[in-house]
Amino acid sequence: MNGNEIASKDDALFRSIEYTGKNFYYAVGIFVTIIAFAVFLYAGQIISGLGVTGMAQPVSWGFYIVNFVFFIGISHAGTLISAILRLSKAEWRRPITRMAEVITAIVLAIGGLHPILDLGQPGRIWHLVTSGRLQSPLLWDVTSITAYFAASTVYLFLPLIPDIAILRDRGTKPRWLYQFLSWGWQGTPKQHKVLERTINILMIGVIPIAVSVHTVISYIFAMTVQPGWHSTIFGPYFVVGAIFSGIAALLIVMIVFRRVYHLENYLKEIHFSYLSILLLIMSLLWFYFTFCEYLTTHYGNEPDEMRVFFYKFSGDFAPYFWAMILCNFIIPVAILSNKKTRKIKGILIASFTVLIGMWLERLIIVVPSLANPRLNYPTGIYIPSITEWALFAGGIAVFMMGFLLFAKFFPLISVWEIQEGRASSVKEVAHRLRSYLPDELEEDDITKALH
Amino acid sequence: MTSRTIQFLQYASIAWIWIFVLCVDGWIISLLIVARRLHDAINASVAIGIIAIPLFLGIASALTYVFFGLKKHRLVEEPERREL
Repeated sequence: MNGNEIASKDDALFRSIEYTGKNFYYAVGIFVTIIAFAVFLYAGQIISGLGVTGMAQPVSWGFYIVNFVFFIGISHAGTLISAILRLSKAEWRRPITRMAEVITAIVLAIGGLHPILDLGQPGRIWHLVTSGRLQSPLLWDVTSITAYFAASTVYLFLPLIPDIAILRDRGTKPRWLYQFLSWGWQGTPKQHKVLERTINILMIGVIPIAVSVHTVISYIFAMTVQPGWHSTIFGPYFVVGAIFSGIAALLIVMIVFRRVYHLENYLKEIHFSYLSILLLIMSLLWFYFTFCEYLTTHYGNEPDEMRVFFYKFSGDFAPYFWAMILCNFIIPVAILSNKKTRKIKGILIASFTVLIGMWLERLIIVVPSLANPRLNYPTGIYIPSITEWALFAGGIAVFMMGFLLFAKFFPLISVWEIQEGRASSVKEVAHRLRSYLPDELEEDDITKALH
Repeated sequence: MTSRTIQFLQYASIAWIWIFVLCVDGWIISLLIVARRLHDAINASVAIGIIAIPLFLGIASALTYVFFGLKKHRLVEEPERREL
């Protein structure tokens, strides 16, 4: 089937590439303005140093590290979820995986740059190249994030090749770009075999890399003896939180782009329903980990740990702590456990609250432990400056603009996978059902029933 | 842009990926050497190196395999010089 034949059926998927409305330019204009403002204030930070931020002793990590952990967490939306769905042969994955993979690639690039913001002078990164210590968890972070970014970009690009070839065959401009990126794809059976074999290898390899990334990020806290950080469950706790915020981000992106590009025929209620159930499960799991973490601290009753504990529960950070519980547990569970409210609007509200709650969680992990060190020090104060807020807003704007630009050049839903689903899903599912069920059923009967 | 130019850019991109991967691996190896010279927890550094170095090589190999696999299994050769 050539590009034009597919086009007639799936024209909606190419609309964002081939037609550019006024709203696109307005959106880009708004994002560029926000980014320019952030860059302007960052230039001020480079000139004046970290004094322009709210960071001081003992709170030497603030928004930059909070946002670093937050953005890297969201990156778990993509490649990990996409790989798990592909591996488990979940048929409903087809319109979802591409968006998930794009989120990962963009957010990893943004999150990965945040530690450079925290360095003050970006030139200090060179010391990492010349004098890094590989036994430091900070270097593990650099290595694992670089590996995850490389693997995720490849994992995004490879399934994109057949779609790029469709755009090339349709004569979409810039044609040289699609010719360059399609790598001579003609859709021959042998080419399919090569591509699918590599995607299969990558999807298995990318899961442990994704898990390792957030585990390693937790180690920059857990490997210290700082009160509130030195915990054995921090690795899995961070991974759960990352997947949780990742699913929420994916749901928001799906809902927004479904509305903007009229993708209702591809992203149906059932997709949101399945993903929101995953979000509900992750909410319960997150609460379980949070409960375990704080219960063991409270039971141990170690004075330094308890200072941090009460700082969060009833001290200066209590409003953020209880807001986190509200956003990450009470609201999403209340909305998503009820079939009546588990609709697209409800899912959007739940996803937004989860993102806010997970950002608060990162804030609550980073700041209170630094504000209450073991040393005999007065409790630290941290009030983020306008530079930090602007760079946070800039990070979000880069993400949204990156996504918008991706949608301008490539389909947000995998066209060839949808096509493949139409051609072979029913037969495949029928074959699978036959192997699951205890009775000997004819494959044709199952196929008929499925139709 | 001609097909030949595009083909050159494609080969250049694969070469670029290998340069990137070899630079990262070279960096890891240089840090291993520094750790050994300074007697600075060499075991931990070796453990990280053993995982990271093949991982980056694997990612580049996967891309290269697809690149040459797709080139090899084309049905029709594209015209040598076609203006795009």
